Amino acid sequence: MTLLSRAEALAVFAELFPVEPAVITLGATVRELLATVGRRENDFYVLDSMGLPVAIGLGIALGRPPARGKIVVVEGDGGLLMGLSSLATVGFLKPANLVILVLDNGTYASTGGQPTAATTTDFVAIAEGCGIRGFESSDDAGYRAALTAAKAADTPTLIRMHIDQRSIKTPYLLEDPVRVAAPFRQLLNRERAESGI
Amino acid sequence: MSTNDERSDAVIAGLAQIKPAVVPMMPSSTLKRILEWVMAQPDIRSFPVTREEEAVGIMGGLALTETPAVLIMQDNGVGNFLTALTTFPVAYHLPCFVLIARRGGINEYNSMIHLISERVPDILAAANIRTLTLDTTVPITEWTDIIVKGYAFAQTTHRPVAVLVNLMGG
Repeated sequence: MTLLSRAEALAVFAELFPVEPAVITLGATVRELLATVGRRENDFYVLDSMGLPVAIGLGIALGRPPARGKIVVVEGDGGLLMGLSSLATVGFLKPANLVILVLDNGTYASTGGQPTAATTTDFVAIAEGCGIRGFESSDDAGYRAALTAAKAADTPTLIRMHIDQRSIKTPYLLEDPVRVAAPFRQLLNRERAESGI
Repeated sequence: MSTNDERSDAVIAGLAQIKPAVVPMMPSSTLKRILEWVMAQPDIRSFPVTREEEAVGIMGGLALTETPAVLIMQDNGVGNFLTALTTFPVAYHLPCFVLIARRGGINEYNSMIHLISERVPDILAAANIRTLTLDTTVPITEWTDIIVKGYAFAQTTHRPVAVLVNLMGG
C-alpha cells in the first residue's frame, strides 16, 4: 500500500472541503497547503500556537451559526498530542459542525522529523472514548470516504489519515498574522451578516 | 471590609452586564460562587476546559466569530497559558477577556500556591499582557464597573485584558 504524502492529502482535503472554514495547523502543513492549493479565504493559518488548532476550531464551531455547515481542523499527530485533552472538551460539547482531520506521519516533520508517540497511540479510540465519531484510513479511497462521511455526520468527527514523511520544499510564511487572518475573518463576518447576526 | 460573598457578587454583577454568550471555566474553590452563578444562567453557555491554554484557543476561535465570551480561571494557571496567549490572541489582535482569581496572598490556605501566584502580576507584565487589579485597595463599589470596562477595553484594543481579582480579602 502506498501512503499519500501530506501535500497529496491536503489536496484531497481541499477538493472535498472547497469552501468550508478550516483551521490549519502550523509550520509545514500551512506552507504545503499554500503551495498545493494556494491561498483560500476559508483557511485560517495558525502560524505558531502548536497544540491549539483543535481548541481554536472548537471556539469557531461554538460561535459560528450552526446552519453554515462544517468547520474543519487540519492537525498533525504531534500537534494533536500536544493538545490532546481538547478532545475531551469537544466530546463534552459535541459540536456537530466540527471535523478534526489528523494527518499522521508519526513525526514532528517541521522540526526535523523527530518521532512522535503517535505510533503507539490509538487516536480513533481516544476520540471515540470522548464521544467523537472516529475514522481511520491509510489510502486514498478510504480517506475520501472518511472525509465524505465526516461532512455528512451529525456529530463531531475525527479522521486519522496515515501519510508518509515526504515533504515539499516551501518558503516560510513570514507575513503579519493579522494580515494573514484578515480574509478568514471577513468570511466569518460575511457569514454572520448573511445569517442576520 | 467586604466579605468574600460581597466581592463575588460584585464580580457577578459585572458579568451580568457583560452578558457573555460563552464562558469557558477552570475549576476553582475561590470562584465557586461565581461559577455557580454562571452555570445557572440559561443564556450563557458555560463549560469546563481541561487546561488554560485550551481555553485561550477556544476564546480566540470565539473572537474570530465575534461571540462575546469571558474566560474564568485562577492565577496559578497563568503559567500554562502564556505561550498560547502571546502566540494567538496577541499575535492575531483578538480580544480575550480573562477573569483571573488571585491566590497565594492573605487568607490563603494552600502552602505552596503562592510560589506561582504572588508573581503573576509581574509575569503578565513581562509578557505585556494588560491587567486590571481588584483587591482591597479598590473600593468594592467600583469592582463591577471596572469589570465591565475591562471587557470593553479588550474589545476596543483587540487584545487580551485580564482582571486580577482577589476574592480572598487580600
